[in-house]
Amino acid sequence: MQTSQILQTRADRADRAGRTDGGNARTAQTVRKGGPMADQRPAVLRDGTRPAPAGIAGPGARPPTTDPGELAATARRIRRHAVEMVAIAGMGYLGQATTSAEVFAVLYRAVLRHGVDRLVLSPGHYVITHYAAAVEAGLLDERALATYGVDGSWLESISTERTPLVSATCGALGQGLSVGAGLALADALADAERRTFVFGSDGEMEEGQTWEAAMFAAHHRLGRLTALFDCNGSQVDGPVATVTTIEPVADKWRSFGWTVHEVDGHDVGAVLAALHPPPGDGRPSVVLARTRMLHGLGSLGDGRDAHFVTLGPGDVERALEDTEPVGPR
Amino acid sequence: MTARDGAAPPAHGVSALHPVAAADLLPFPWATTTKPYGTALVELARARPDVIALGADLTRQTETDLVRDELPRQFVNVGMAEQNLMGVASGLARAGRCVFVHTFGVFATRRPFEQVAMQIAYPRLDVKIVGFMPGLSSPGGPSHQAVDDVALMRALPNMTVVDVADATEVRQAVALLAEREGPCYLRLKRGEVPVLFGAAHRLAVPAAQWLFEGGEVTVLASGMLVATAVRAAQVLSDAGLPVSVLNVPTLEPIDRDAVLAAARRSAAVVTAENHAVAGGLGTAVAEVLAEAGAGTPLRRVGIRDGYAQASSAPWLFRRHGLDVNAVVAAAWSAAGRRGDPPTAADVPVETGRYAPV
Repeated sequence: MQTSQILQTRADRADRAGRTDGGNARTAQTVRKGGPMADQRPAVLRDGTRPAPAGIAGPGARPPTTDPGELAATARRIRRHAVEMVAIAGMGYLGQATTSAEVFAVLYRAVLRHGVDRLVLSPGHYVITHYAAAVEAGLLDERALATYGVDGSWLESISTERTPLVSATCGALGQGLSVGAGLALADALADAERRTFVFGSDGEMEEGQTWEAAMFAAHHRLGRLTALFDCNGSQVDGPVATVTTIEPVADKWRSFGWTVHEVDGHDVGAVLAALHPPPGDGRPSVVLARTRMLHGLGSLGDGRDAHFVTLGPGDVERALEDTEPVGPR
Repeated sequence: MTARDGAAPPAHGVSALHPVAAADLLPFPWATTTKPYGTALVELARARPDVIALGADLTRQTETDLVRDELPRQFVNVGMAEQNLMGVASGLARAGRCVFVHTFGVFATRRPFEQVAMQIAYPRLDVKIVGFMPGLSSPGGPSHQAVDDVALMRALPNMTVVDVADATEVRQAVALLAEREGPCYLRLKRGEVPVLFGAAHRLAVPAAQWLFEGGEVTVLASGMLVATAVRAAQVLSDAGLPVSVLNVPTLEPIDRDAVLAAARRSAAVVTAENHAVAGGLGTAVAEVLAEAGAGTPLRRVGIRDGYAQASSAPWLFRRHGLDVNAVVAAAWSAAGRRGDPPTAADVPVETGRYAPV
């Protein structure tokens, strides 16, 4: 599809995919007592996730792949989806999607056993990448992406308890690893073999709670817990290094009793290797994915605020050209 | 005690108190017991393998050493890390466990407030937060005195807030809250706990319960100040002012009907709580009365003067107006009685017995 067509049909898509107002999906939900949220929250599945509500569910989980070419192409499509989503309002969390596209591609297409393993999305701002990756995994209807950030949509711009297809999420930073540790602890106590993945961002290492959780997980030998940090070196006020010195990050995690994998976060093969099943020595593992803001969107690489990107005239078209599909899907 | 001016002295040997039989209030002075909570939690955890107790380096102090020693697979010490504590509780609850979280009330509510809000209250998880050492019962000064915990927890949608009066209610609260879906905050006295109620007493959540009826003034009390209110009612009725007492164990959601019934049946109402008047029982009652347009005069007994200090509980209760005489004076004034209110005689109590300050 040409760029202009995509832009033209965006509004149509939003109507087709349903600007979900929550109440429409009532029949598919577990209604608990108390508060309007009771009518807006889908049932929770065994892996702790909420399925995509009727109307925005995907065709079904696609078979996993470890093919590097396919995973790289998936990452490219994740960026493209993200550009389209941010284009709806002309601003949004595009930087997060560009830094984490490869990590999400590998996680959603190669590693995560959907419906079995647990995923905690700690920084809610990255939910844009989650939506795009969920489409690529076959779990979310692609047309739903056109409702990203639209009032009343299921696809909120910062994830909430309504967000489908994650075990837990946080808008407030630094809370996710603790929740992941609790999920992993429940599985360890039940001798369940599922894995728990917590996606986080390097800025969250400024929050003390991250390190409380790191100590807890190592002490309790939660070896089936894996944390992935998008180390893009960027936070709201600028480069992380200018705000707080968090390095040496790898040494910190190692000294906290974790197995550390430090990789180029845009190298799908390296990310995949780092996410291999845990060695079984009881140590939780952390993947430090070194990434670059707006990677893959060369035309926007002009030093703009990448935490919350504003797209000016022509930016959307240029960014879509950057992410033109390179091969058959 | 004295009764002056407008107070008609009672006929000799006749009390104006009308106890409600169903409440099964035992005679003063009351016996005390220890570890009613821990004992009840062990019973619950035995019957329900999904129950798990989390601690935060205060295991014996929160009576959870009983669970740790008897059911070690149902106890996890998260350590001195309350933000992580609440997140781990959330994860366990999201995985289907019924989680009881234990620490002192201050540490359960102030430091991890955002974690409780976002990871427990908002997703409406089965996490029961148990905060020990309410109000000025701690000699540890402002850092250890939970004087705003009820206010903080009441502010969170989905949260049930319970402050029980005695050991009988403590035991019943454990099973009741485990059955109640969603997050709860339970406020518990640490150490020796009085036994105000007999075996026939039934705690209900969120219903309030009348202990004395037919008074000119109603004292609505929660937690440790229920015993205080009962003693104050005795002093007042001996001085010719008949007083009703409503036990209000659930602060959120408050039993609106009972509060309005108290306003209808009395010339004035008094609230009594071991907590700041801002945001606690006094605030909850004031909101109900105001929204219903009830013009009943209201006096609030509670902490008004900010941060206390590290001193003994009896000294603090007197200094900050949480004692029997403070409730007596408030009721006396609310009823429009002139002159000095009666004062409670100091009752010496032996070890193992309880008399409110």
